[in-house]
Amino acid sequence: MTSTFASPPGGAPSPAAAPPAVVADRVSKVYGSGDAAVHALRGVSVGFAQGAFTAIMGPSGSGKSTLMHCLAGLDTVSEGAVRLGDAEITGMSDKQLTLLRRDRVGFVFQAFNLLPTLTAEQNILLPLQLSGRKADRAWFDQVVDVVGLRDRLSHRPNELSGGQQQRVACARALVARPQVIFADEPTGNLDSRAGAEVLGFLRASVREMGQTIVMVTHDPVAASYADRVVFLRDGVVVNELLQPTPDTVLDRLKSLGG
Amino acid sequence: MLRTTLAGLRAHKLRLLLTAVAITLGVGFIAGTFVLTDSMDSGVQQTFARGADKVDYAVRPSATASEDIPAALVGRIRSLPGVKDVHGQVKGDAALVGRDGKTVGDMQTVGLSVPDGRLLRYDLDKGRVPRGSGEAVLDSRTAGRQHFSVGDAVSVLDSKGAAHRFTVVGLVDFGIDQDASMRGAVGFDPATAALMTGEKGVEEIDVIGSDRAAIAAAAGPKYEVYTGKRLGETLAKAAGADTKIIRTGLLIFGLVAMLVSALVIYNTFTILIAQRMREMALLRCVGATRRQVFGGVVAESAVVGLVGSVTGLLVGLGLGAGAMALFNALGANMPTAGVALTPRTVVVGLLVGIVVTVLSALLPARAATRVAPVAALRSDLEPGGGRFRLGWVRSVLTAVFAVGGLGAAFLGAVVMEKGESSMFMVAGAGGLMFLAVVTVMPALVRPLGRVAGAIPARLGGVPGRLAVENARRSPHRTATTTIALTIGVGLMSLFAVVGASAKVSSEHQLQQQFPVDFQVNNELNSESRPIPRALAEGLGKRPEFERVIEKKEKETGVAAPGASLGAEASQATVGMVSGDALGTVLKPEFTSGSAAALKPGTAVVGDLFAKDRGLATGATVQVRTPRGPVPVKIVGIYGGDLPLPDVLVPDTDFARHFGSPGPNAIYVKVKDGVSAASARTVVQDAARPYPTVKVASAAEIKEEFTDAIDMMLMIFGGLLGLAIIIALFGIANTLTLSVVERTRESALLRALGLTRRQLRRMLSVEALVMAVIGAFTGVVLGVGFGWAATGSMDDDAVFAVPYLQIVGFIALAAVAGVLAAVLPARRAAKASIVESLSV
Repeated sequence: MTSTFASPPGGAPSPAAAPPAVVADRVSKVYGSGDAAVHALRGVSVGFAQGAFTAIMGPSGSGKSTLMHCLAGLDTVSEGAVRLGDAEITGMSDKQLTLLRRDRVGFVFQAFNLLPTLTAEQNILLPLQLSGRKADRAWFDQVVDVVGLRDRLSHRPNELSGGQQQRVACARALVARPQVIFADEPTGNLDSRAGAEVLGFLRASVREMGQTIVMVTHDPVAASYADRVVFLRDGVVVNELLQPTPDTVLDRLKSLGG
Repeated sequence: MLRTTLAGLRAHKLRLLLTAVAITLGVGFIAGTFVLTDSMDSGVQQTFARGADKVDYAVRPSATASEDIPAALVGRIRSLPGVKDVHGQVKGDAALVGRDGKTVGDMQTVGLSVPDGRLLRYDLDKGRVPRGSGEAVLDSRTAGRQHFSVGDAVSVLDSKGAAHRFTVVGLVDFGIDQDASMRGAVGFDPATAALMTGEKGVEEIDVIGSDRAAIAAAAGPKYEVYTGKRLGETLAKAAGADTKIIRTGLLIFGLVAMLVSALVIYNTFTILIAQRMREMALLRCVGATRRQVFGGVVAESAVVGLVGSVTGLLVGLGLGAGAMALFNALGANMPTAGVALTPRTVVVGLLVGIVVTVLSALLPARAATRVAPVAALRSDLEPGGGRFRLGWVRSVLTAVFAVGGLGAAFLGAVVMEKGESSMFMVAGAGGLMFLAVVTVMPALVRPLGRVAGAIPARLGGVPGRLAVENARRSPHRTATTTIALTIGVGLMSLFAVVGASAKVSSEHQLQQQFPVDFQVNNELNSESRPIPRALAEGLGKRPEFERVIEKKEKETGVAAPGASLGAEASQATVGMVSGDALGTVLKPEFTSGSAAALKPGTAVVGDLFAKDRGLATGATVQVRTPRGPVPVKIVGIYGGDLPLPDVLVPDTDFARHFGSPGPNAIYVKVKDGVSAASARTVVQDAARPYPTVKVASAAEIKEEFTDAIDMMLMIFGGLLGLAIIIALFGIANTLTLSVVERTRESALLRALGLTRRQLRRMLSVEALVMAVIGAFTGVVLGVGFGWAATGSMDDDAVFAVPYLQIVGFIALAAVAGVLAAVLPARRAAKASIVESLSV
């Protein structure tokens, strides 16, 4: 699918020059205590450039989802610090974190992305409405057209296919123009064609409007849409790859023994 | 299978507890009723037994005879060999004059004989028993209210109305004598008691010594001789009839509470089964038969029922004891003999609790058996489709119930003759209409939810809108949850409407038909002691009054020609009102004939009297007078609940037949321009010299009636409050389970930026919408059937809606709904987003 975003007002910042949008600084995360303690993250330090599409990869239990949760303010870190833009989110209260997510972060989850009681349009506008912001109608129309949902706006989630549901989720994330979009296995439940469509939007939104995206995935093909892949194993960043292709990603994964 | 069930219950203690609460409250109320009435019974029994123990034998009129025992028999028994002591109990009227110079209370106090020595059955609280003609004892509570104590001098009126002075020598607890505790009592020695009350006979002769045969021989066949023990039992049994009425009344409310509990249980189990679809399917996968799955759910409900009932019994014990303490603190003189938990209470409580729970779980259990094993493998069990289609079965049922209910209501309220049968018709109609609402409710939830949620959706922002959607998404569930509330609120509004209508009707009737400003009544409303004529004449001369109307009445025989005028059944009040008052000031509504037709030799009669005797206008009746029977032609029949005699004759006729006694009541209409306060002073000053004559203003009479109705509504409200509380637990329960179901949804919302407070508010609004739907439906039903009930009671009844109260009910329900959401909302808000997302 070829998609074109018109440049958003103000133009896209150049990816390379800008400071990182999200930074993890020696982040550790421990669940439980004593003998039962599980070290999900062991001092991870990594930055995610603004206007870039970064994939986080790793075998099951490598800590990739935990890292994403900590970066997005869904979970708190045990040690270390996380900065989102100019905000130091470590030590923020639940309320502050909630407002931060509402105003600066977008989410696309693997499943159960949408509220069943709301129509597609209401779902897309939900974050804006939660923060009491007015939707920029032109921008909304543009996003909706790009994801091809114009004739599905009044449908409820149970009347949409899995791919359509994920496209609604992408539109929801994009419409609020967050500083970062976190995507957690966004194509995990989709067939390859629907998956390619969704990944296409994500990449286009980065290229053409400078959106920053961090995506957790275990699929080398999905990762190949990113600008950069960060590899995690046993709670530590072990490697990274720029301008990935499915083959290079797969090679790297094999070399990790995952 | 049982082991799986029990393990499941142990793992979900909170769920078990919430479900059991509904049963606990219902069983608690029923058990409490039994505990209270049993305790009252046993207290009464003990007290009677204690009193009767002091007596060897007691002579009482046999059940068929209603006359007193002649005093001569007391002497005859006294002279029997072996008799050590005898007391002939005297009981009559002896009006105590209070500190304000008026007789105490609304009814004159009871005069009793208080014997000295072993036969004294009452407890002396203070002082000693009275001896001689100058001493009296007072009922302790009457004395307390009037601030009389030992050593004070009091004035008591004898049966002729003459005042006598007595010195109070003691305060007595007359115990469970109903008359004494209701009216207050004065005690004298037996001889003085006979003089004061004017009673010729005695109620009972208590004896010490001798033997039963000798006493029975002396008493003769008209009287029965009891041993002390049997006397106690007989008296306690008679008093027990009162507790039976209380028990039945309370149990009706208990039944309502259990019905609401059943709905809550049914709903909870339905939701639980829906949520545990995968668990059930897994059980089926690993080889459980349908029967085993069914049995598992039923066993679970039995355990819940058992737990709920046992705690319910404990709650009932507390409630019963609390009610006893409360009643006694409020001044009711209830004998206490500890709290009684009888085996019957335990059996009934457990049985009702378990049976209701299991029955309520049967349908959900059947639904559980329908789960296909393959459902265990499906992952997308999206709860709440949001739509509800009224199938043809439900449509037909709704139509049948609604048409039947409305038809019956119309018949009862409009077509049928007013009376008991029309009221039963309306009650039946109410039941049918409720069934119609039950069947159609799931279809009403979405539109009603939109209405009830209109304001919160507009004001509550995104959380408000989501909440309203959530309340509407499972119509079936919301319907059952709200109907539980509908029952309580519906009955409350029904009572409120009937009460308000009764108030307005009576006010309206008095204003239209009996527009007097003051009523002067003689408390001792006996014919031998009418209001002194001087008072009536004095009032008639006052310039402040427009009209002073005298009413005279005489109890006498009235019957169709040929029938006996002496028979008990022919007794009726024949009376007059002065001059042309009938038709000018007193304007009862005539169902046939008119006031104008009242000429000498004729009469107008009350409709109840006419109906009772089968009389119509034009008929002639015989009226017994001191100068022989007189024929009177009926020229009119009037309705309404006015203080008028059965047979009203022209004043000249009345004087001819019965002479000119003083009036039994005086009605005063004040001239325009005279202030109420000054008119009142005039009437009161005129009545001051007569202790038994009491003045009541129309406003006071109205207020008394209003107060009585308000009191009744408050009691009903209190008793129905339980059903409403159970329904609120139902809301909390449904919400808790919905929260569990929507864990991921809530987590998603929180991830997208919904604050904890917003999430809590969302659930509160959802509960509010459910509560308002339930309350609104209840109010509509209650007001509708309040109208029908009012119409079925009386032709003259005016329908009134207490708008403020009704709006109050809905507002209260809304607030209570929000309260019900507090715990589920807190739980939902506490959940971790990351954990919930991965559920």
